[in-house]
Amino acid sequence: MLESFQLLMGGFATALQPVNLLFALIGCVLGTLIGVLPGVGPAAGTAILIPVTVVLDPTGAIIMLAAIYYGAMYGGTITSVLLNVPGEAASVVTCLDGYQMAKQGRAGPALAVAAIGSFIGGTVATMGLVLIALPLTRFALKFGPPEFFALMLVGLSLVTGLAGKSLVRALMSAILGLVIAQIGIDPVMGAPRFTFGRMELLDGFGIVPVVMGLFGIGEIFLNVERRAVQVFETSMSSLIPTLKDMKDSAWPIIRGTFLGFFLGLIPGVGAVVPTFLSYSIEKRVSKTPEQFGKGAIEGVASPETANNSYANAALIPLFTLGIPGSPTTAILMGAFMMNGLIPGPSLFKDHAQFAWAVIASLYIGNLILVILNLPFIPVWVAVLKTPYSILMTLILAFCVVGVYSLSSSVFDIGVMLGFGLVGYTFKKLDIPTAPLVLTMILGPLMERGLRQSLEMSRGDFSIFFVRPLSAVLVGIAALVIITSTFRALAPVKGADSQI
Amino acid sequence: MKRPYQVTGVVFLLLAAFIAYEALKLRYYTHLGPGPGFFSWWLSLILGGLAIVMILQAMFGRSEAMPADFFADRIGYLRIGAVVLALVATIYLLEPLGFSLTMFAVCAFLLYALGRQSFILTVLVSLASSFGTYYVFDRWLKVPLPRGVFGF
Repeated sequence: MLESFQLLMGGFATALQPVNLLFALIGCVLGTLIGVLPGVGPAAGTAILIPVTVVLDPTGAIIMLAAIYYGAMYGGTITSVLLNVPGEAASVVTCLDGYQMAKQGRAGPALAVAAIGSFIGGTVATMGLVLIALPLTRFALKFGPPEFFALMLVGLSLVTGLAGKSLVRALMSAILGLVIAQIGIDPVMGAPRFTFGRMELLDGFGIVPVVMGLFGIGEIFLNVERRAVQVFETSMSSLIPTLKDMKDSAWPIIRGTFLGFFLGLIPGVGAVVPTFLSYSIEKRVSKTPEQFGKGAIEGVASPETANNSYANAALIPLFTLGIPGSPTTAILMGAFMMNGLIPGPSLFKDHAQFAWAVIASLYIGNLILVILNLPFIPVWVAVLKTPYSILMTLILAFCVVGVYSLSSSVFDIGVMLGFGLVGYTFKKLDIPTAPLVLTMILGPLMERGLRQSLEMSRGDFSIFFVRPLSAVLVGIAALVIITSTFRALAPVKGADSQI
Repeated sequence: MKRPYQVTGVVFLLLAAFIAYEALKLRYYTHLGPGPGFFSWWLSLILGGLAIVMILQAMFGRSEAMPADFFADRIGYLRIGAVVLALVATIYLLEPLGFSLTMFAVCAFLLYALGRQSFILTVLVSLASSFGTYYVFDRWLKVPLPRGVFGF
């Protein structure tokens, strides 16, 4: 531990050199700007900006790329809160309450709490990297297909936490998401499913066009229908969070930090799972669950913290074992190798100065991110005063670029339009859209986990119960489903009771 | 809200039936476990069951009043139609005409149809949304956007 501390101090000495500080700053700025663009998420943003770092030395290049990565995670928050257009899939949950806060004139506190939560989550995750990375990563690698399936089952069971007034409508949305996820190539046998002979459907529906349609385009339809002049039509309250806001956000930030950190250690989980799970957990433990979806600050604080904590923790398997846990960390791994560095245990032995400099820069980068973004909140919030017809035009242009750039296909624009109509209809019918997104992402992971597990056990379902981790997770999922069912049968505080 | 939920329930029931029909064409189970049709089949049954519950709730259960703005007025639907038309036009014109020209036309149309902004503002915003966006993405970030027959 003492040796790690001394190496970390040496890392700070390198990371605090003016040129490396500049690279971290540029990375945070570029990452935030990229994250703001709808549809261009951290993975695409990091990949797009790799050429910018080619001319730099390895330390500077990786410092900048890491800053781009977590900068993009925060950038996605800005459009989610201000415009209900998720910058990337992991920001979908922030739309649920962040946008409602913006409509109430509280965009400033929403963005501020998101920035502070992201800083805390990212910093704690980086501390975890320093102190307990290796043993925790070894534990996380015990997650095989049965544990993965059980973890996804826990995630799906928390769908009930995303239900509004009606559990039936939430379940229908969730099942629809699972059905949509069936479209494409079967993950185990490779057979096409529900493609109807169309080449474009072999990959299924991309998550980005779906979420941009459901949330962004759907909201545009609602606003043009009612001839909205501006995004919000009340007066703007203070840009600074109140003491009550900070008090209400404290425990959600703590819970989001640890949830995002733990899930970041497990390769393959993805950034969306921590945000949805943290939202569901907050709604479940809240004394005012009926406020979620109407501008509850906890609904912004926890997912945003979990998001950034996850982003930093996902670097741990990469650094310690050379295993990229997500598409973005895989791109970072490519950047490592382009600079002649091989991530993994030997990185700390052969390039200790580089490794600890990058870790130190993660601390510094998280600090730069919050210092950079807090003063800009009034600028971002001023966007809301733009006449809606102009704002809408710009949103549509960026959405078209965002979805088209994924695979250079106009089919994705059609998917976005289609789901925009679905999102509009669902909003009218009070059918929640968040369960659809959650199950669309978790469904394929769960199906793959189930079928791989059953291949391992030759069709024996007891594999999920004889492995301790898997058994515990299945138990948690069962407990959540049972308690949710009983809760749904009891009157919900402050809302009509409907099943 | 009885009638809307009855209609929604019927739509979901028909969708469930369609999914079940398609799932039957896929392999249900193999010697190693569930096949491609396994999940689809059970999802269709669950969805169908939920649809029936929704229909029954709408017919016999307590129902909230329909909000006053549930149905938009004629102008509202025309405005939504304008956005839909703009996106459909984008789909068909983006590759032949190129990103810049297509988005310029689409943005100008929307600003005129929905915002009635001044001519100069319309042109400026349309230029920024089209040619400006093209420059940032295609030239600076090297994200390829369609160039169309005119090369931009």
